[in-house]
Amino acid sequence: MTLSTTIESKPLVMDITFWMATTIFIATYVMIVSEKVHKTTIAVLAAALMLVLKVLDQHEAFHIESLGVDWNVIFLLISMMIIINLMRPTGIFQYIAIKSAKISRGDPLKIMVLFAVVTAVLSALLDNVTTVLLIAPVTLFISDALEVDPVPFLLVEVFASNIGGTATMIGDPPNMMIASRAKLDFMAFIYHLTPIVLVIMVIFLLIVKIVFGKKLKTTEALKERIIQMNEKEAIKDPVMLKKSLFVVSIVLVGFIFHGAFHYEPATVAFFGAGLLLYLSGTKNPHKYLAEIEWTTIFFFIGLFIVIGGVVKVGLIKWMSMQMIGVTEGNLFATSMVMIGFSAIASAIVDNIPYVATMNPLVVDMAKHLWPGETGIALLQHPDLMPVWWSLALGACLGGNASPVGASANVIVLGIAEKSGNKISFLRYVAYGVPIMILTIFISMIYVWLRYYFFSG
Amino acid sequence: MEVKMKARDIMEPVKDSLSPDETLKDAVVKMETAWRGENRLGVKGMNVLDSDGNLVGMVSIKDIIEAIIPSYMELTEVADFTWDGMLEEMATKVAHKKVSEIMTKDVKTATEDAPLMECANYLITHNLQRLPVVNKENKVVGMIYVRDIYYALTRVLH
Repeated sequence: MTLSTTIESKPLVMDITFWMATTIFIATYVMIVSEKVHKTTIAVLAAALMLVLKVLDQHEAFHIESLGVDWNVIFLLISMMIIINLMRPTGIFQYIAIKSAKISRGDPLKIMVLFAVVTAVLSALLDNVTTVLLIAPVTLFISDALEVDPVPFLLVEVFASNIGGTATMIGDPPNMMIASRAKLDFMAFIYHLTPIVLVIMVIFLLIVKIVFGKKLKTTEALKERIIQMNEKEAIKDPVMLKKSLFVVSIVLVGFIFHGAFHYEPATVAFFGAGLLLYLSGTKNPHKYLAEIEWTTIFFFIGLFIVIGGVVKVGLIKWMSMQMIGVTEGNLFATSMVMIGFSAIASAIVDNIPYVATMNPLVVDMAKHLWPGETGIALLQHPDLMPVWWSLALGACLGGNASPVGASANVIVLGIAEKSGNKISFLRYVAYGVPIMILTIFISMIYVWLRYYFFSG
Repeated sequence: MEVKMKARDIMEPVKDSLSPDETLKDAVVKMETAWRGENRLGVKGMNVLDSDGNLVGMVSIKDIIEAIIPSYMELTEVADFTWDGMLEEMATKVAHKKVSEIMTKDVKTATEDAPLMECANYLITHNLQRLPVVNKENKVVGMIYVRDIYYALTRVLH
């Protein structure tokens, strides 16, 4: 494992290349927010422009981690997608959902809470979009059975998905990106983020009970429909299910120990994908590989290169100096600003381009603060760690505020609308903004207490 | 065969049509009681015309059944868990949907003098039952059914 932490940025010279790179970068953001053209198309075109205009050369874009594509993130995503694509047809996810509804004996509030827990746990282990794609359709089905409004259920699941995803390294793309850039392992996320996510989840569920508890009504006869369901019928391929669970267990154990054994997370996931493909005995791997969300993958690839361009010309370094200027090098202030600013930014822009931009910015800031340090000593400087966690918390939890804040939101709102349950922008933010403010506030208190108050 | 038949020679005249703003409930009644030749035998698919009489869509019984199956059933395998009476419940839910919401919008038409091979090819490759025939003013004048194409070719084979 080589540690290429040197950001090869020139001293800031505002020449024509600087302005070309800056223009492409700003135009990319504006176009993504305006949603006129698909975000992946924009990212790919902008990345290609960075190469054609010679802001970056191809070697830098494809082979230098700090300036171009972070293949660790790409292969972690691809490998997890392959594993899920192979697992999905077994029916395990329908089984879990129906089983949860049955455990709740058809009681709508209990179902809402259990589905939120299932969504949060699955989002922590899989990616959020996959999780809500699995849970939202079953939710619509269950609410039809109980003749209740599905919208509160779907909103609670969106929030639970973004909260749960914050808990682990593999739960949300921002965490994968932060882990890769700061060389943090799976257990670091478990140790630093999972505890606060558990606290947030408990408070969130209490609020769900208070807000929706009285409104959810159904009849005993309708509950009986749920009780009559036999969840075992959901399992379509028990043999493949056993193989899948075996491989998933290996991958999880691999994640727990990857830091200790010096494996990158992508290596662990890639092994899992290869092993499960082999064990599945499929003669048609094309099917599972074609189902990889290539649009998402290319969004990442494009963004990495666009950000690489502005890193190289020194824009990011300049931005990091401004950030240090604002907080006067006070890292507690930096952490607080990082949570708050990240939350607001992620509510407006996709949190993926946001974190892609902030990662090199944080590294540049660290280099300025500790000029003598390099490698892990720099990236994981004890005083820098709370800043990374603040970035993760802000970027992941900020996604809850608006319908476009995170991919999971967009997916669920799309499914809701298609089923005739359109959730308006205002109805969404009426719940999303307070949830974001509350969770961000709790996160700020956590970061303050754990990293500044108690550690003196 | 002496006579080389064209679309106009085998099409059936259509008297009834739907409007985009009609509800599904009304559409179903109209389709059940539509004219087929001399009798009100009903049809399994009907043209949708706007107020100027232009063809804007087509509704078949398949479109109506599809409208009743909830969209989420396409996304998740829960068919095993459906309950008795679910279909009827869903049917009452969509009764007030508009024809424009469920109709097939992109309807291919044949001109009156289109060769039958063209009509046959289109119906078979797109797995359709009927193809509206339009005149020079682009107004619907008739309908070609798969079975009429079949009858035309049986006359050759006999």
